[in-house]
Amino acid sequence: MTDLVFLEPATLAEANSLLAEHGGAAKLLAGGTAVVLLLGQKLIRPAALISLGRVEGLQGIAVDAEGALHVRPMASLAQVAADERVRRGWPLLAMACAEVGNVRVRNQATLGGNMAEADYASDPPAALVALDGYVRIVGPRGERQAALAEFFLGFYTTTLAEDELLIEIVVPPLPSRASSAYLKYKSRSSEDRPCVGVAAVLAVEDGACTAARVAVGAACETPQRFPALERELVGQRLTPAIVGEFAGAYAAALPEPLDDLRGSAWYRREMTRVHVRRALSALAGLETAQ
Amino acid sequence: MSPIGRDTPLLDARERVEGRLPYVLNLSLPGMLHAKVLRSSHPHARITRIDAAAAAHAPGVVAVLTGRELAEADSIQHLYGIGTRDQPILAVDKVRFVGEPVAAVAAETRDQAEAALDLIEVDYEALPSVDNEMAAVAPGAPILHDDVADNIVTHYKLRRGDVDAAFAASDLVLEETYTSPTAQQVTMEPHVSIAQFTDGRLTVHTASQSPYGVRRVLAEIFGLKPEEVRVIVGPLGGGYGAKAHVRLEPIAAALAWKTGGRPVKFVATRAEEFVIVTKHAVTIKIKSGVMRDGRLTAREVTSWWNTGAYADAGFMLTRGGMLRSIGPYRIPAVRADGYGVYTNRPPAAAFRGAMASQGAWAYESHMDSLAHALDMAPIELRRKNILREGDAWATGEIMHDAHYEECLDEALRLLDEGRPLARAEGSIRRGRGAAVMMKNPQAPSRSEARVVLRGDGRATVYTSTVEMGQGAHTALAQIAADRLGLPAHSMQVVGPDTDQTPFDQITSGSRSTHMMGNAVLRAAQAVADEVRELGRRRYEVELGEITLADGHLHTPDGQSVPYADLLNWAGVAQVEQRGEFKTEQNLDENHQGVTCSHWHQGAGACEVEVDIETGKLTVTRYAGTSWAGKVVNPVRARAQNQGNIIYGLGPTLCEEMVFDGGQVINANLADYLIPSILDIPLHLHTASLESKEKDADMEGIGEMTLPCVAPAVANALYDALGIRLRDLPLTAERIWRALHLEEVRHEHSREH
Repeated sequence: MTDLVFLEPATLAEANSLLAEHGGAAKLLAGGTAVVLLLGQKLIRPAALISLGRVEGLQGIAVDAEGALHVRPMASLAQVAADERVRRGWPLLAMACAEVGNVRVRNQATLGGNMAEADYASDPPAALVALDGYVRIVGPRGERQAALAEFFLGFYTTTLAEDELLIEIVVPPLPSRASSAYLKYKSRSSEDRPCVGVAAVLAVEDGACTAARVAVGAACETPQRFPALERELVGQRLTPAIVGEFAGAYAAALPEPLDDLRGSAWYRREMTRVHVRRALSALAGLETAQ
Repeated sequence: MSPIGRDTPLLDARERVEGRLPYVLNLSLPGMLHAKVLRSSHPHARITRIDAAAAAHAPGVVAVLTGRELAEADSIQHLYGIGTRDQPILAVDKVRFVGEPVAAVAAETRDQAEAALDLIEVDYEALPSVDNEMAAVAPGAPILHDDVADNIVTHYKLRRGDVDAAFAASDLVLEETYTSPTAQQVTMEPHVSIAQFTDGRLTVHTASQSPYGVRRVLAEIFGLKPEEVRVIVGPLGGGYGAKAHVRLEPIAAALAWKTGGRPVKFVATRAEEFVIVTKHAVTIKIKSGVMRDGRLTAREVTSWWNTGAYADAGFMLTRGGMLRSIGPYRIPAVRADGYGVYTNRPPAAAFRGAMASQGAWAYESHMDSLAHALDMAPIELRRKNILREGDAWATGEIMHDAHYEECLDEALRLLDEGRPLARAEGSIRRGRGAAVMMKNPQAPSRSEARVVLRGDGRATVYTSTVEMGQGAHTALAQIAADRLGLPAHSMQVVGPDTDQTPFDQITSGSRSTHMMGNAVLRAAQAVADEVRELGRRRYEVELGEITLADGHLHTPDGQSVPYADLLNWAGVAQVEQRGEFKTEQNLDENHQGVTCSHWHQGAGACEVEVDIETGKLTVTRYAGTSWAGKVVNPVRARAQNQGNIIYGLGPTLCEEMVFDGGQVINANLADYLIPSILDIPLHLHTASLESKEKDADMEGIGEMTLPCVAPAVANALYDALGIRLRDLPLTAERIWRALHLEEVRHEHSREH
């Protein structure tokens, strides 16, 4: 660790060229809440850290003319959680960001870092998958976009290449009359990470469901969404039985739920069933109990 | 007004808040080197080769040590331990747990020391391993130590009455088995020691609860006289038993022995904390005979304490565990056996409320099971059998100052037990539970103190009691101030430093206020007597007429003199006295006799909510009580009572070290969860119960509300759902699975 080089580029171009120069030997540093832990535990031994802290244009939150939300990668989770526009337009995202770790972590951790880290047991990824969010990425081959539903590949792995940089998280506006919520289930202490986290968007018009999007986080290696099941809900009048059935189907569809100290695979499937049902019931204004 | 019984801020409160407290962790000495240790990756293996030659030539490296070198050094006794010398400073031929120190390096920087570890080559020949205490005592289990053929390193027994006959004559006999897992104390400050040899003397700055214990063991290891070892202890960032015995000191000192006089600092990482010391896992089989009216007739308790690869404090703790698994009840016939069992786990030692937590988990859950079997209210069953004044306990000793029922009553009152409870609401079910505990203080035991009234009229207490956040130094200052007629905040407390402060056994087991408090009281009383004598000579009044208050000596006719002036008048530079307090124990091999002069007593009662769809249990209300005799510092006593409950919620609900192939898989605080501030019950009430007598003794209250937490919560869970869990922790998934099984059984019985 003594010979670790700390680099602080001022522009995106500089950051990109430093990345290219160091190849896989450099690690990008956003808020550092994950990277510093990994360094401390010697799980990574990069030759250089490229800090994004001084790079112009990576800060801030904006809403464009079409009503889409643009979060720059260095916005902290605390900023996203507190932002009035996010709270009004995408409450699910604000709720998920407010659930991460504790206030000290949220002040330091960034949304971009959270996406790039792809920690299976974090809250924002599921929220952004349910919100049809996508990321903008720049690299030597130019700029590309990736839907978050396809961005996460597995434990701590994404489609980001070693020489690429995530420059923005974009979230389209919610469908009309949609409400959204993030329901985090912690099986151990109050500061634990989720055993399962359910991110749900639901729109109901004239008593019938017009849109439903549900992503289940922390249950599997990546956030899980089953559009075919979501489509089955559209057009239905939501009752406890229908929501229960949907939740059961969602739980059953999970491919290989994780088995760890927060819950066995079997328990995670059960908790997915319970929390998908609870999240949708709450959004549909149904009784939450069995 | 006496400083005793008054809310008194910690003497070092300002330094704590301002970050100026001199923790050993922050101490740096001139020329100091940094230690790192290579640890075993095998739970049980022969070391067939170690090659550390390359590490010795690595940049910045000053000393490299292997177990072989220490074993072959004439001046070093490389094996140490409290009941048996079974633990090498560094493994020699064999490793016995994942994380056992195998080689050590001292270098100019920590990074250099760490880099050098990579250059040490170790070849292992794996041996079969065992990490569960019951598997370790089964026939054919792998043997850890050649001289302990059955892995049972120690066995203590208690025999009273004819247990078998009493069982035969009982209306009901119930046997259950309870377990609690290996856990970690998780002090905020990690273990840290700095050692230096100068002119044949060894000086150690260390974060230890036992300065004199460390001195004795280091003197034995290095063949020094105890006086040739100086142990200086700063304020601790938490102890909880984790620092009660020798930990990093032998390695730091062994490295220092090779550096030609340069000091060596060894700081444990958080991951290392989990392999340095743990809480005993235990399996407790408890069987009770009871008459239909609820009278207990007999009890048999067998406990297997998982001491890990080395006994550590396992001798006295197994004995404590055996005694602390019986319970505060009047039972005519008792048979108890406690076994200390070697396994391929990291060594286990005290964990706040040592062994009493594991014991109460078993006997207080069991009391509720017995009550349900008898169709009797659990509190009624306790009242029928609880120890009262003049009752004989399992050792045959007669109980004096027995306040168990009072503790229980007060806990129930604080919980407001009569309040109606909405038992079911949506997916939430609610229930209440209670528990009582007893714990024997360490005995025989001894504390000494020195109190000096200085020429400036203020006073200093010299004590080897360790301040670890519990407020002991403040309590001792209050006690001395009371006798000396000085304000508590004007007192200075010095120590521990074995060159300056007199002997004390240890700071643990809730003993300091009682043991050291009485030693300080005696020393301060002797100083006060001497000051009065000076006053008698100066003013020619009767001794009995003199009062000491506000730093002045007062005579009945209204004359008064500041202490500084009085000492000056008498030509005395200072008045210095020593005080000592000792306790005895007198038990035979069947543990019949007298354990101690007083008992630690406490109770707890709680209300829980369980979400039946997830199994998640929330403690919504908790009330804990402890018997204090006389409270020295009410605000700190309350903090201790509350802290115990919060600390106790961890092992109750989520704390458990999980092993895979002998390797701890959750040795970090993201995977090993301790309660956060949000887990504290919304309604948390505590009380330290006091005697009505003016001269009541000051009893320790550092642990008494802790052991009841797990059984009280489990009993409340049973009250809510009819589920009896016998394995800690009470995780959501465990409760969910039990609920699920109940449903299955219910379905099954309906079909038939």
